This record gives sequence, C-alpha cells and structure tokens, in this order.
Amino acid sequence: MAGTIIGHGITIEGEITSDDEVVVAGTVRGKLIVEGPVTIEAGAVIEADVGAASLSVAGHVTGNVAASDRVDILAGGRLVGDVKASRLTIADGASFKGNVDMDV
Amino acid sequence: MESVSTIGRGTFVRGSVRGEGDLEIQGRVEGSVAVGGELSIAEGALVRSDVSGRRVLVQGAVAGNISATESIVLEAGARVVGDLAAPQIGIRPGALLRGNVSTGAPGPTAAAASAASAPAARGRAVTPVRAAVAPHAPHAPPPPHAPPPPQPPRAAAPARPLPAARPAPVARPAPAAPAPRPATPTLSSARVEVPVHVPAPSPSAPNAASAASAEEDVEDAPAFSQDAHGAHGAHGTHGTHGTHGTDTTQGTHDEEDLPVTQDAEETGGPPPPVVPTIRKGAKAQLRRKGAR
Repeated sequence: MAGTIIGHGITIEGEITSDDEVVVAGTVRGKLIVEGPVTIEAGAVIEADVGAASLSVAGHVTGNVAASDRVDILAGGRLVGDVKASRLTIADGASFKGNVDMDV
Repeated sequence: MESVSTIGRGTFVRGSVRGEGDLEIQGRVEGSVAVGGELSIAEGALVRSDVSGRRVLVQGAVAGNISATESIVLEAGARVVGDLAAPQIGIRPGALLRGNVSTGAPGPTAAAASAASAPAARGRAVTPVRAAVAPHAPHAPPPPHAPPPPQPPRAAAPARPLPAARPAPVARPAPAAPAPRPATPTLSSARVEVPVHVPAPSPSAPNAASAASAEEDVEDAPAFSQDAHGAHGAHGTHGTHGTHGTDTTQGTHDEEDLPVTQDAEETGGPPPPVVPTIRKGAKAQLRRKGAR
C-alpha cells in the first residue's frame, strides 16, 4: 500500500513529514519532507519545498527540491525552483526553471 | 482515484487539511481537518485538531471536536476527547469518549451553537452513551429508577419528528450529577434515533433490539414491581412468622417465595432476606446447654 495519498481535491497547508511513500494529486502548500519516493501527479499543485529520496514530477511544483537519489520531471510536468539531486532527468515536454546542483 | 486520499501510517501533517473528497487518516495530524466527504480515522491514527466531514468514522484517537453534516460513528477502540456534533451519532461499545455530544443539529451550526443551546446538548449527551453501553450490561435489571419515566417517552418518541427534536423542552438543562434521571425522557427517543438512521453496518442495530426490548421490559416493569412489592410485603411478614413457627410451614413457604425472588431480581428490587431456619429459643437452649 502506498503510504500517503493526497487526492485530487484535498489541500494541505503546513508541513508534511513522512517516512513512507507519498503521492500527491491535490494541493500542498508549505513543506514536504519524505524519506521515501514522492510522486507529483498530473494536476497536482505543490507550492512547497520538497525533500525526498526520489521525486517524479508530472504536476506543477513551485519551490526548491532536494532528493537524495533522483528527480524526474515528466512530460507535462513543471518545476520552478532549484534542484539538488545526484541524478536529474527532464523529459521532452516538461518545463523547468531554476538551478541544478548535482553534487559534482 | 481522485476520491481516495490517505494520510499514511508514517506520515505526520502539521497544518490544515481541507478538501472535497474522502480522506482516510492512518498517521498523525495536528492542525485542522475538514473534508466534504467521508472521513475515516483509522486505528493507530492520532488527530490533534478539530475534525469535520460529511460522515466521520473514528477508530483511532482524536483530541479535538468532531462535527459532521451527516453522521459520526465511534468504533470500538476509538478514543475521543472533544465534543461531538452531528445529526446522527453512533458510539459502539468499546469506544472511549470524553466530551459533549449533541445530535439533531447539523454539525457546523451545532459547533457554533451559543451557550443557550448548550444545556440541551448536555442533556442529550448522556443518551447515546447510555444506548451504547446498554449491550454491555445486559439490560436484565432495568434500573430501579426506570419504572417511573416510561410513559412520557413512549408517548413522545413516536410523536416527535426527528429534526424537530432539537429545541426539546424535554432536554431540560440538568445539573451534571443527577443527569441520568432527567435525561431518561429523551433516552428512548435517542435510542430510536441512533439505530434507525445510522446506515446499514451500524453498531446500533443491536442497540435497536436491546432498546426495544428494554422498553418492553420497562413497560412491563411497573406491573411486575407492583406485584413483587405487594407479594413481597405479604410474604415478608409471612416469612418471619414461618421461621419462628413450625418446620412444616417452612416447605410451602419456600415454594411460594421462589417466584417472588425472581420477580424481585427482574425488577431490580432487593432479594428477600435470608433467615436461617432455627427455631425460636434454639439458641437459648444451646447456650444453656453450653453453660452447663
């Protein structure tokens, strides 16, 4: 079972901490700190700093992103903010604005 | 997919959670929770905030007020410290609750209700809990104070339409201590409300049965108790005579007395005194013998 699912139509304002998988299809404002994979689905809106083991973005993210493993920006995804991760992929059709820090 | 939202076991949310769909909370939430759909607070969850939804199902712990526009159900194992407000409220045996309960009003308005309606809420508070507790204590002994109130509630219960139940002059503000007694008039109506309207998997279904049978019991009770009292009084005097008298009367006395004790137990009256069958003067004789 996926740990946490924030469905479409749900809005969380504040801080979310989790040590499990998090899937966001709704809206999150504030902070999202997860020790597991984070999936931002299409239609989701994140206005928060995100820390995660890995992050895949198909929705809209505004905020700085840090992942211990990887960040994937999928087609249709939009990321505005700085990215700190050891691996980063930006798919064709994704939009991204910000700095990248890959720990080189 | 869109309606399935979960805050998982290992997740902690500090802030407000709002939304239209359903939500299941298995982790921890501090702040506020307000959803338009069904809100389920699972076992092991801890919610430190006010909670509102259309239907709220609680199996975990909630420290905060709960309001619902449709119903609230506290399952066994639920721990709630806070007030409940919803048109329908169910509390299963095994749920713990500390707070006021108000039914019959839509959640938000009840939550915002002024102090004027607070006493009514308080009066009602007792009833669902009692209804839930009823199965625990098999309703065999209708409490001694039960016989007096049955007539008024039976008349009131069917006559009163549900939504109109709220402005109740019936739920007269009661001082906390003697609450059960004045609250009993609302008791039967509340019992009827809860089981009938909580949806199918309701915990209250057994309550309905028990409440109905309890009412029957209560209805029967006065006649029984009168019988019991009358008979008991007569037998009581008889009995003392019997013990003082000969042993031959003793046997018949026992047989007569048996049904009376049953009645007395059913009506919750005190059992007849048990008197050792020693003939009058026997002790004195023994003592005299011992002395010699």
